[in-house]
Amino acid sequence: MTMNLPADPPPGPESSAMGLATVTSEPLGEASAIAPGMLPAGKPRSAFRRSLDVFLDNKLAVTGVAIFVAMVLFCFLGPVFYHTDQVHVNFAIENMPPSAAHPLGTDGNGYDVLGRLMAAGQISLEVGLAAAALATIVGVLWGAVAGYFGGVLDSAMMRLVDAMLSIPTLFLALVVVAIVTPTTPILILVIALTSWLTTSRLVRGEALSLRVREYVQAMKVMGGGGTRAVLRHIAPNAVGTIMVNATFQVADAIALVVALSYLGLGVPPPKQDWGGMLSDGVQYVYDGYWWLIFPAGLCIILVITAAIFVGEGLRDAVEVRLQQR
Amino acid sequence: MGPAPQKQTSRRARRLRGRMTMAVGGSVVALALVAAGCSSSSSSSTGSTSAGTKVKGGTAVYALPPSTTPNYIFPMTSSAYISVYNLNTFSQQLYRPLYWFGNGSKPLLNPALSLAGEPTWSGNTATITLKHYMWSNGTPVTSTDVMFWLNMLKAVGPSDWGAYSGFPDSFVTSYKAVSPSQVQITTNKAYSHSWFLYNNLSQITPMPPAWDKTASGPASCATKVSDCAGVYKYLDSQAKQLTTYASSPLWSIVDGPWKLSAFNADGHVTFVPNPKYSGPVKPSLAQFQEVPFTTDAAEYNVLRSPAAGGQKISVGYLPSQDAIAKPAGSSPLTAGQNPLQGYTLDPLYIWGINYFVMNFQSSTGNGPIINQLYFRQALAYLLNQEAVIKGPLRGYGTLTPGPVGLTPDTPFISPQLKTTNPFPYSPDKAKSLLTSHGWKVTPNGVTTCTNPSLCGPGIKQGQGLQFNLPYATGTQWVTQEMQQLQSNASLVGIKINLHPKPFNQVTALAAGNCKVAKIPCNWDLANWGGGWSFAPDYSPTGETLFMCGAIANSGGYCSKTNDNYINTTLTSNDLQAMYTWQNYLSAQLPVMWQPNGVYSLTEITNNLKGVVPQSPTLNITPEYWYFVK
Amino acid sequence: MAPVTPAPQAGTGKGPALVAFFVRRLLQSIVVLLLVTLITFALLRMIPGNVAVAVMGPGAYRNPQAIKLFNATYGFDLPWYRQYFLWLSNLARGNLGYSWTLNQSVASLLANRLPKTIALVGISTILALVLAIPIGVIQAVRRNKLTDHAFNAFSTIFYATPAFLIGIVAILLFAIKFPIFPPEGPQGEGLGSIITNFEAMILPIVTLALVTIALFSRYMRSSVLDNLTEDYVRTARAKGASERRVLIRHVMRNSLIPIATLLGLSLPAILAGALITESVFNYPGMGYLFYQSALKQDYPTLLGFTVVVALATVVGSLLADIAYAVLDPRVRYVSS
Repeated sequence: MTMNLPADPPPGPESSAMGLATVTSEPLGEASAIAPGMLPAGKPRSAFRRSLDVFLDNKLAVTGVAIFVAMVLFCFLGPVFYHTDQVHVNFAIENMPPSAAHPLGTDGNGYDVLGRLMAAGQISLEVGLAAAALATIVGVLWGAVAGYFGGVLDSAMMRLVDAMLSIPTLFLALVVVAIVTPTTPILILVIALTSWLTTSRLVRGEALSLRVREYVQAMKVMGGGGTRAVLRHIAPNAVGTIMVNATFQVADAIALVVALSYLGLGVPPPKQDWGGMLSDGVQYVYDGYWWLIFPAGLCIILVITAAIFVGEGLRDAVEVRLQQR
Repeated sequence: MGPAPQKQTSRRARRLRGRMTMAVGGSVVALALVAAGCSSSSSSSTGSTSAGTKVKGGTAVYALPPSTTPNYIFPMTSSAYISVYNLNTFSQQLYRPLYWFGNGSKPLLNPALSLAGEPTWSGNTATITLKHYMWSNGTPVTSTDVMFWLNMLKAVGPSDWGAYSGFPDSFVTSYKAVSPSQVQITTNKAYSHSWFLYNNLSQITPMPPAWDKTASGPASCATKVSDCAGVYKYLDSQAKQLTTYASSPLWSIVDGPWKLSAFNADGHVTFVPNPKYSGPVKPSLAQFQEVPFTTDAAEYNVLRSPAAGGQKISVGYLPSQDAIAKPAGSSPLTAGQNPLQGYTLDPLYIWGINYFVMNFQSSTGNGPIINQLYFRQALAYLLNQEAVIKGPLRGYGTLTPGPVGLTPDTPFISPQLKTTNPFPYSPDKAKSLLTSHGWKVTPNGVTTCTNPSLCGPGIKQGQGLQFNLPYATGTQWVTQEMQQLQSNASLVGIKINLHPKPFNQVTALAAGNCKVAKIPCNWDLANWGGGWSFAPDYSPTGETLFMCGAIANSGGYCSKTNDNYINTTLTSNDLQAMYTWQNYLSAQLPVMWQPNGVYSLTEITNNLKGVVPQSPTLNITPEYWYFVK
Repeated sequence: MAPVTPAPQAGTGKGPALVAFFVRRLLQSIVVLLLVTLITFALLRMIPGNVAVAVMGPGAYRNPQAIKLFNATYGFDLPWYRQYFLWLSNLARGNLGYSWTLNQSVASLLANRLPKTIALVGISTILALVLAIPIGVIQAVRRNKLTDHAFNAFSTIFYATPAFLIGIVAILLFAIKFPIFPPEGPQGEGLGSIITNFEAMILPIVTLALVTIALFSRYMRSSVLDNLTEDYVRTARAKGASERRVLIRHVMRNSLIPIATLLGLSLPAILAGALITESVFNYPGMGYLFYQSALKQDYPTLLGFTVVVALATVVGSLLADIAYAVLDPRVRYVSS
């Protein structure tokens, strides 16, 4: 089951529908705030510096970053040092336990498992990151436009979002995959298709709240343009939330690919992602071929967990900028 | 532990059922079948060696194949619902067909379980004499009940009988009930008697007079063909009310050994013995239950677990990836080591052949290439059947050498093909075939044609060997076989793009001859994983699959020589005609032969006897089953 | 972000505003429902392949009449928008359609399978909530301490683990190695079997709950944190209320409100998770049926199912919104 983890509880119920505006308590301008930990006689530290400190203090978040970087190196640099044939099948050496020649054994097609982990990781990570990026871009644009312009456009755009949110993700994925054979780009599209919705809602909420904020209205009265408002005020605040959301999107995208692979809808052979490795491996759970199950499972769990920790660390860091308590 | 809920959907649900459309004169079939009959095992399978005393009663639980649930009880089953889990294991337990096929381990007529004796012939007229069977409501099974079926078949057969093959319209001039126990059928010319029995009379299931009605009241389909459409409509609508199957007054009139005591649309079915059954063997069990499973992994979980508050399966199946590899050289028909305790393993092979189709009529530009014999042979040398049998199938599979299967062993198989694999794995042979025909071989790349005059007509200069191969997901060994083919083909620069798809999509794409059925021809290769099963036409002559223009000839292979050979097999009385034809066609590769994997690695609980030998027709006879202490 | 105490708009009584709000929301919900059906329908029509042949099997090629009849009966020979209206008009009359592959009406399929899925999803969601709410509160109260981190790590790991892996390991450990529970869900007909054979429900429920706990506890934690810093909490403390009283009487109640919204919104996701759990535990409910229908191109079932889920989601969020509007006095109505 994958579910987009928004950074916070939604800002009020269905604010898109009720037209409810929840107003945050951001101060006007941040630079002059006094932050904890400020040296008594020194210059106030920038908001960015403060956020960075909060982030680095969060041990789980730092661990998450470390795990993620390690995984990326493992998957993309690993094959440079450890060559295996991931294309040619060899049933003669299928399902062999770990040995000197194959540190993690071989799978049902005779592929070296360690090498396959790297190759599969490339696909899983690519799909996760690209889908999250695509979903974020589309979601931000959609939500910003809807929230800022409001009115009928906003209503129509958000109704579409509501409609798509009511359709189970797997259903959308199943149908699209039935139409076209899933390749890596198609998988990225399918996952992005289902993930941009919560981002757009989030961004729309932000844009909406900013629209009615006093200082934006004040700016309008004074003749300042919408673009200025967007760039100077919406962007910095929204960027934080969007970044956090994007990180959770990565976690969810990887989880969704795993679910799709279990249902037989992953990338076609000879390629495979971690989800495919895991779902093939669990067939042998009674035969004791643990090397087909735990390595892939561990990779999946580690990466998703790392992404979530990083996301939470980011959220805490962003909140520091927003809070002036 | 299937990775995908639909993986390992047993091939029970996915074999394409074979039909013969016509045959002329006495055929080699008759002799072969008689010969086979003489050497077959005992006609009844009343449980071989039983160590233990027979106990009457008990409930046997039968595991249905993954993702299958019986959903059609009316024997006149249309093609949407015709399947093993609706006919063989469901409605045929209640309403026995006129003739029963499956005699021990041979796909032959079982006279003991048939409702009539073998027909007697006089000229072109066959006389069927019914035995004294009774319906459960006290009325006897009479010739009227047979006429009921024949009339309905005539009226709605083409559109609503899933096994329609032209019978009776295409070869029968008249049929009538001459006495309460006799039906006479006259054919339009002389046909092989055993072919007529095996392929046409095999389609008959007598229906009780109480079913001869519509919503408004009784009708006379048994005497008037014009009434039959209305009666069919009514009975079909009754068959759509799944919740009424167990209680309906219509469906509770049975002549088989069992009747329904409970039916749940989610797949849980309970049969109890029919006390009025007139057959030779009355059920010993108190109950026979069928239970559904989402995946074979879920079923295997239950097999492996001690009955801790859950149900215990009496007859189930072992997923083939969990089988223990058999030692090299052992016959695929014998069981190897069983990973389960308390169960006996018995492999069941279906009588048929396995292959995947190549589209000679492809509109993608690859048609001319596929038409070249040397190319097909090159591909065959790359498909390593033996490695698939040894590896993914764990030894439980047989080679498919040509249009006749190796299992069960019948006199039909040519001696030459029985012992030698016509296409043993040889990338070198594949490479030399390509290079000698004007191709520049680029291993791990794409081989291109450098000499079109050698490559063949319609092949352009620089054209590459690249193909799309959609294949049906759900069967692990087929997936692995496809990956091996892709891998081996890449060694000589043949690039195969695999497209895993659901079974329905593959068959919708490729199971019909695209020109004859007027569907798009834009596919090159396609594999639904299950090939063809000879049921209920147990004679493997090739007119349905391999003759020019036959609708089931998916790939569109057409050869006058082959047609002549097939016609000879239909008219000659010499088995040699079969052998000659097979030897020829095997090398022609009208389709790509692939291993015949085991249909089911059946697991039978040790205290249940009478289940083996299993019939390759996939008919089951739970009335023979009994528990021992 | 935390809501701020607004100034009530002068002249707007709560009653009429509430009604107007309800009507507006209702209309919007209907629009959303229609959109859902349109999107689903359009998507399904894009799946390539001849539906008649997919349903009737390749033998249908021998029977062009049967294909024609099939297309005529189900409207496949009409242009797609007319097919859509045909389906909609049937829906308006309460006819959800007929499943070709399963030979049952979609309504009877739903009646047969939906209660099972609702039982599974309902009980596991309740279990998840019952565990997640206290966990979330504890995490918020002990923010950034070891307890917080421990719970966080634990629930995150379970969220990250694929549902089928949890299920399979659960079966291996608790049904095979140590035969405490049966390895499959209750097999009897209807809901009665769930009660009589409840020990068979435990593993599926726990599997599904484990994944959901992470989400709910995280929300609860955020929500409680937001509320803990609110003015009214400070007021209550200043008035001398004990920490515990503050927590339970004031904070919890307000913190629970976003959870209600979350429940409504997460219904489709939970059903997707149920799909996998059902197939691992041989529990043939709606989720698994849906997956099989997708593979067999059984459009009526897919459409019917999607409509039901969408309806539930829309109704759920509508109710949540209304509850929020009625309960939370700090909400401001802004004309959108």
